[in-house]
Formats: sequence, structure tokens, C-alpha cells
Amino acid sequence: MTISNTARRPAVPHSVPKSAGRPAQEPTKKASSRRWRNLVWVLPAASLLCIFAYLPLMQNLGFSMLKWDIYSGRQTFVGADNYIKMFNDPIFWRSLLNNTLYAGISIVFQVFGALILAAMVEGLRSERWRGILRAIYFVPSAISLTVAGLLFYFIYEPRMGILNAALEFVGLGNITQAWLGQENTAIFGIVAMSQWQGFGYCTLLFAVALQRIPSELYEAASIDGVGPFRRFFSISLPLVREMSSLMMIVTVSGAFQVFNEVMVMTTGGPNNSSQVLGTWLYRSGFVRNDFGYAAAIATAVFIITLVLAVLQLRLSKHRRVQW
Amino acid sequence: MRKSTQLMTAILAGAALALAGCADGGSQTAAPLDLAKAPEYSGTLSILTKFGGDPLEPYFEDLAAGYKKLHPDVSFELIQETDQSIKDKTKTLTASQALPDIYFTWAGNWANNFIDGGLAADLTPAIAPGTEWGNNFGESALKAFEKDGKYFAVPLYNNGKFMGYNQRIFKELGLTPPTTFEELMSSCSVLKAAGYEPIAFGNKDGWPALHYLQQLFAYEVPAQVLEADFNPGTAKLEDAGYLKAMKQFTALVNACTGSGKDSNGVLYTTAQQALAQGKAGMYYQEILEFDTTSSDKSPLRKDGLGIFKLPAASDAKGDTKAIEGSPEGYIINAKSRNAALAADFMKFATSTLNAAKLSAPPYGQPSAVKGAVSEQNSTSPVIEGINQVNEASNAIIWLDSVTVPEVADAWLAGGEALIAGTQSPEQVLASVRSASSAAR
Repeated sequence: MTISNTARRPAVPHSVPKSAGRPAQEPTKKASSRRWRNLVWVLPAASLLCIFAYLPLMQNLGFSMLKWDIYSGRQTFVGADNYIKMFNDPIFWRSLLNNTLYAGISIVFQVFGALILAAMVEGLRSERWRGILRAIYFVPSAISLTVAGLLFYFIYEPRMGILNAALEFVGLGNITQAWLGQENTAIFGIVAMSQWQGFGYCTLLFAVALQRIPSELYEAASIDGVGPFRRFFSISLPLVREMSSLMMIVTVSGAFQVFNEVMVMTTGGPNNSSQVLGTWLYRSGFVRNDFGYAAAIATAVFIITLVLAVLQLRLSKHRRVQW
Repeated sequence: MRKSTQLMTAILAGAALALAGCADGGSQTAAPLDLAKAPEYSGTLSILTKFGGDPLEPYFEDLAAGYKKLHPDVSFELIQETDQSIKDKTKTLTASQALPDIYFTWAGNWANNFIDGGLAADLTPAIAPGTEWGNNFGESALKAFEKDGKYFAVPLYNNGKFMGYNQRIFKELGLTPPTTFEELMSSCSVLKAAGYEPIAFGNKDGWPALHYLQQLFAYEVPAQVLEADFNPGTAKLEDAGYLKAMKQFTALVNACTGSGKDSNGVLYTTAQQALAQGKAGMYYQEILEFDTTSSDKSPLRKDGLGIFKLPAASDAKGDTKAIEGSPEGYIINAKSRNAALAADFMKFATSTLNAAKLSAPPYGQPSAVKGAVSEQNSTSPVIEGINQVNEASNAIIWLDSVTVPEVADAWLAGGEALIAGTQSPEQVLASVRSASSAAR
């Protein structure tokens, strides 16, 4: 078994030498025609993708250069005005900051936290308890974000919510407040709910990744007198790095597309303190009637998530684990 | 940049613009609806209402069933939304050019957008004051949807904002409805000392604060200045009355509400419940809410719901007789193929019988039809509210629909900041001024 830092190169078939001379014309023609025939099978999926993904993307790019009055239907070309407005809009930057904060906290809890928890659960001797704990941690992920948002809205409610009641009960009444009604706590209240909701799903995925690690490695380490912490850092952590990379991509992309929980819990308030890019886009379009500007924000979100995904994918290529 | 990259960028931008379309849709108001033409009693009428949820939802369902009895070949597609969701729904339908035959509207900038966009049928020949149908409505209700001498919507019900109070609690504490803002603040102290929440308030959605602010602006800012300031083209937003009104609002939130700075985290329905359950002495509400707040099952029904107009400060410089509120109505889509049928349906909806039904519990929506609100079918707070609205010197339209959305949004954020104490009235006014000049 080897643990490789680089992706395995595909084997070159012996029958086709790399430096073989120009093959006969007839087989090339046949191969070419086969390639075109094969492409026919790809066409339906590619067409659907074009119609439902790439075409709207292009349309959105077009909308972002327009001033669009939805009532009269009048569309005026304004060039880069919406992008200039975006760069000068403090609420856009506030939203971007909130998304970044969301991503950062999610990486800490949903990637590293979930990995530690999964390692602890998988380290238990009792298979029964492992199953029970996995199920317990997974349950919040089965609840829809809208329902979870509403649930937490009532938990955070300043006068009837159980969070403030619990704080009062343990003698921390001095820190009770309207968690979603204060500018400095609203976004953290939402992020906390989101961690609760997504934590179990990540834990489950890490548990699966940990189960794939051959037990011989742990046994050998134990025989060598390696303790649980060292086993985690020297065996578990390196061998689940592919899953960690995937979770990072999913978590960060998700953090920049967050919408439901913010809409349900604060609608971006108070005083736009909990706006994220998704809700600011929505508010710009559907409340402020500025659909061109909303399209510009959508383009920004697309570029940010695309860049992050490409970066992470490139990074994860060098983190593939094989044995 | 390489030539090929430049070329690719240009092609992409061109394609994107071509896909998005870049057309002038025109913005003239619609031609008058030809109501001389008899409607064809067949086909499907689509209606977007603001009567989603209990207890209002059955009203339009019953109307549709009643109309279908008269005209069996007519069917209905009802889209029933709530006060919050109808804003997004309407804009989605507008942007996708899929507005139904009849759709809900507020007065002010909200309605004007549809009128200017040519999406509202000109109902002048049918509903203007002096016409047979128009004579059924109060003139002020019709005027709420008038633009350049033309009438564009059917007013369904009137509305106004009042402070509702628990009559039993007031009587027990020897309180009478305050007549000045100073008296209101004193009443708060008495209620608080007796263990009640003086004024229940929840501003999670932002607009409840706007309702207080708009009424206080009407009291503190001269009417003409206020009117000019609603329009970004003429707005200056420099009157000292704005600052005074915002200071009054902040004082009221801090001294009179149980939630104070935490009010941004409380739902307005939670506040409504506090009055209904007898836990709060007062709650600022619309006439449309009266019958819900004091429903049969609520302790408030037994205690008695009284109302009074939010009192003005004794030295107020604006119009102290103005009341915040305006009728809400329904527009007939100018592009509807069933416009004549839609107008006929709205005549049916505003018939004496259906208007009286709308004004009675459980709906409690005081119809805009003359004589529909009476002691036989409406509760006394609804009757009193409507009488006060009719006697008011001026009806001030809601702050979030009277002005352009960017300015309304700036006021909304400002209201939240005032409650949380994160911005001063001066800072809020500066941010609204900046939004207004950007919207020019």
C-alpha cells in the first residue's frame, strides 16, 4: 500500500506506443467517426445543461448590464454602472463579509469539528452506540432549513425563547438579549443554527471515510504504542484528506449561496447587519425593484464560487489518497 | 489581453445582451377600459388577492363560488397571498409578464408603478365619481387610486392605524385615552408600575416601526414639505420635524414597550397576542386587525377593545388631524383578455351584500362601499375607526408604499437602527437623504 501525494497517472496502453508514427488513414477515419457517434450520447445531457444552466448564466450577465423597469418592461443598457454601484455599495461589502464569516465558521465546525466528532464516534468499541450516535447527529440534517430557521427563531426569541430562559436559569441573565434583533449578534445566531443543521451530515460523511481506512494501520500503530491523538493526526487525518477537501468545497460554496435561513430568521436585518449576498440580491430585485443590480450581484456570487471551487479542485488534485 | 481573449469577451458580452434582450417596452398608461362592451360570461378569471391565510382566505373563495352560481361558465384561478408574501409574488408575476386579470394594490408609489407601466386598466368611465358604480364609493377612497384625473383601481376596503387599548385595564388603573404624546408617555408609566407591558411592539419585519414613524412625521412635518419629500425629485428631507419625530419614537420604544431595544427580534403577531391575552395595555394596529385581535376566543373580547389615534405632541407643527392609512384595492390588468368580465366581477365583489359581508367578523375589513360598515354587521372598534378615518383632515399613505422602494428601504433600516440604538436620528435622516438623492 502506498499513500501518494499526487494523482496516479493513467496507464498508457502498450498497444499504442507514445511515439508511434502516423497511423494508417483508414483506422483514423473509423476512430473519428466512432468519436462523433459517441458524442451523440452526450448530446441530450449537454443540451439540457446548456438550456438550464449556461443559457440563464449568459442571460444574467446580460441583465447585469441593464436598467430594467419590470413594470413598463423598458430595458436600458447601462454598461458597467451596476458593477460600479456594487463596488461602492457598503451593504454589498457587508454581505460579502458575512458570507466569508459564514464560510470560515463553517470550515471550523463542519469540516474540522465534524471530523473530530466522527473520529470519536468511530473510535467507540460498541457498534450499537456508534449507530445510535450517528443517527442522533444526523437528525438535524434531515430537517429542512426553513423549518430549522423557524425553530431557532423561537429559541432565540428574546422574551419567550428557551435560550434566554436557559441563560437566566444558570445565572447568566446579564447576557440575555434579542439574539436576532441586535446588529452585533444576528448573523452569529444564524450561523450557529446553520452549524447545528449541517454538522451531522458532515460527521456522517467523515464517519464513512474513516471506516474505509484499513484497521491494520490502527492495529500496527497500537502495537507500536501510539496513543489516540497521534493515531488521529498521523493516520486518520492524512487518510481522509480527500473527503476533507470535498467537504471544504461543499461548505464554502454553500456558505456563499446561503439564503433560506437568513430570510426566515432576520430577512437580513436589523439595519442590514445580517445581509448575505443571496438576500441582498433578492432584496435589490424584489424589494427595491433594481433587477439589473440584482443580476450584477448574482454575477459576483457566481464568479466568487467559481474561483473558490476551481482553486479547491486544483488543490484537492494533489491530496488524493490511494492504497 | 490577447486578441482572441478580447474577441471572446466581446462575443460573450454581445451574446449575453442579445439573450437578455434590450427593449423599450413603453410606459404610457393604458387606454380606458371599454366597459360598454358586454362581458362574455365564460373563461377563467385569475385573481391575486392579499387574503391568504385565516381568517380572510374564504372571502374570495365564497365570492368566486357566488359569481359562478350566477355564471356557471366562468371559472376562477385564485392566488391568495399574505401581507408579506404578496409583495414578492406581485413583482415576480410582473417581471415574468404573467400578472393575473385582477390583482391587489396598495395606494401610492406601489399603484403608480403599475399605472405608469401601462399595467392598470383605466377604469375612469366606469368608476370615476359621478358614475353609477363610482357613486357607491366614498370619493376619498376612489381618489387614492387616481392619477392625472384618471381612476385605476377598485377600492375594496378602507384602513387606518390606531392605538388599540384594553378597556378593562385602563378602567382599573383610572386611565383615559391620552390626547397628547406627553399624556401617552405618562400612561406608560402607570401601566408599567401596575405590571403590564404598556405598549406591545414587535418589529421583526421592519414595517411596524415605519407605521409609527409615518404618523409622527405627519404630526411634526408640515404637510406640503412631507408630500414633497416623498418624491425623490423634489425631496430635501431637511425639516427639523423628522428629527423630533424620530426622537419621540425612540423615547416611546424605550419607555413604553416591554421589549425596548430587543423589539427587532419580536414578531408583530407576538405583540398582537400580548394585547389579545390581556398582558399589554396597548398595541398600535390597523383597522383590519381589530377583529383578529379581539376575536371570540381572546380575553380582550371580554375586556373590551378601545381605540384612539396615536396622539401628537402638544407643540406639533404638522397636521395633527391626519391619520395614517389608506384604502387597499384591486387593479384590472390592462393586458387582460377578460377585462370586461373582470370589471363585472369587481362590481359583484363591491355589491352591497358582499361589501357588508366583508365588513363583518371574521373578516372585519371595512368596505370602501358607502354604508357597508354599520352597527348591524361590524364591531364597534371598526365603526369608530372608519368614522375617524372619514373625519380625518388627510389620509397619510404608509411610508413603505408612498415613496420609492430605495427610500422606503432606507427608512426601514433606519427604524431598526433607532430601536437598537445603533444610529442617531441625524444619522438615519442622512442615510435616507442619501438614498433619496441616489433614487433621483
